[in-house]
Amino acid sequence: MTDRLSDLPDEALGRRLAGELPQHQAPARLRHAVLAAGRAPAGIRPWLSAALASAGTALVLSLFYIPMLPRIVPADPVHRLVRSVVAEHTRTLMWGSRQPDVTPAALTWLTQESGIGLVRVFAGDDRLTFVNAEPVYLEQRRGIAFHYRDDGGHLLSYVVLPAPGLPLPERQRVQVGRYKPALVSESGFSAWVWKQGDLACFLVADMVSESDLAHFRDYFVRLRPAMEPVPAY
Amino acid sequence: MGDGDFRREALAHLDALYNFAVYLTRKPLEAEDLVQETYARAFRFSHRFQPGTHLRAWLFQILRNTFLTFYRIREREAPVAEDGVPDWDTPMFHDAPDEDSGAMDAHTDLERAMCQLPAEFRMVLLLAEVEGLPLEEVARVMACPVGTVKSRIFRAKERLRSLLRDYETR
Repeated sequence: MTDRLSDLPDEALGRRLAGELPQHQAPARLRHAVLAAGRAPAGIRPWLSAALASAGTALVLSLFYIPMLPRIVPADPVHRLVRSVVAEHTRTLMWGSRQPDVTPAALTWLTQESGIGLVRVFAGDDRLTFVNAEPVYLEQRRGIAFHYRDDGGHLLSYVVLPAPGLPLPERQRVQVGRYKPALVSESGFSAWVWKQGDLACFLVADMVSESDLAHFRDYFVRLRPAMEPVPAY
Repeated sequence: MGDGDFRREALAHLDALYNFAVYLTRKPLEAEDLVQETYARAFRFSHRFQPGTHLRAWLFQILRNTFLTFYRIREREAPVAEDGVPDWDTPMFHDAPDEDSGAMDAHTDLERAMCQLPAEFRMVLLLAEVEGLPLEEVARVMACPVGTVKSRIFRAKERLRSLLRDYETR
């Protein structure tokens, strides 16, 4: 039997390692440090960081794909145009006209800008006051818009857009005197829609109640024969 | 197991972890940092510990992984070989170099030889022979098959004998 460690068999060498290798005890300061770390308030829950990361990724992906989603637009071309005209009317209500100083005297300029001429122009009467007129560009069509205000404070927008072949919705057409325009509701606004040759005409106002609609009908009667738009070119 | 119970049970292994860390780093101050980081990770990821399994082995596993992470960052070296036969080109299987100031004092040939062993060999000997972990647990800590553990223990003892022989003939 030898005492030389280098001659020991595997098992004996293992026993000598276990018995003779000095054991190092953790210093007290380490114990205190570990205890203090253990008492520290728990940080973010482990699942929370994963959940937040997932939500963030989903949000970024959604934002990335939103512009690629198809826009929900009405299939009916009349409704599509009415929606644009109402949006323009709303913009005028909120921000006023882009050209508040345009008057009927500037009709030549308007015709040049819009491609729409006016043989007759409704300049207002005892119920409707002319506010302004401006060229517009809606649904990839150049057009013209006239704005009036009634004595009740309602703003009315008269818009003309070129729309050859635009079919009016038969079920919504209403007989008003010798005319038969369509009455369309859109986003809390009412709109009279009619055709004059290849031009589509719209009269929009936030008049939806029964009494308001009676006034709105009257405004149509006043304006319709007094306006005669024609394609300028 | 509640957080409090888990921490109490984990702290019971502090001395064993520190001893393991001292032999791995060969520097008591680095060993303290290593153990502290090990406990920080263990507390942070306590939900991943499966009750009923060996907490001691789990803590050794965290300590080893932490050591390897630090070692790799410090040494900018490739990961250790995971196959059955140690890769002698892998630094973790090289004999440890002589240490600079701050290194632990080795009082016996056995201790000195142990400190000279490559880190992976030191680990298996400490876990299997000094800590007395079953081979299956050692394999779990070392993230390798049991056969690899046996092979490493055998080769570690061979290397240890060779180093001891050198000391004895001086």
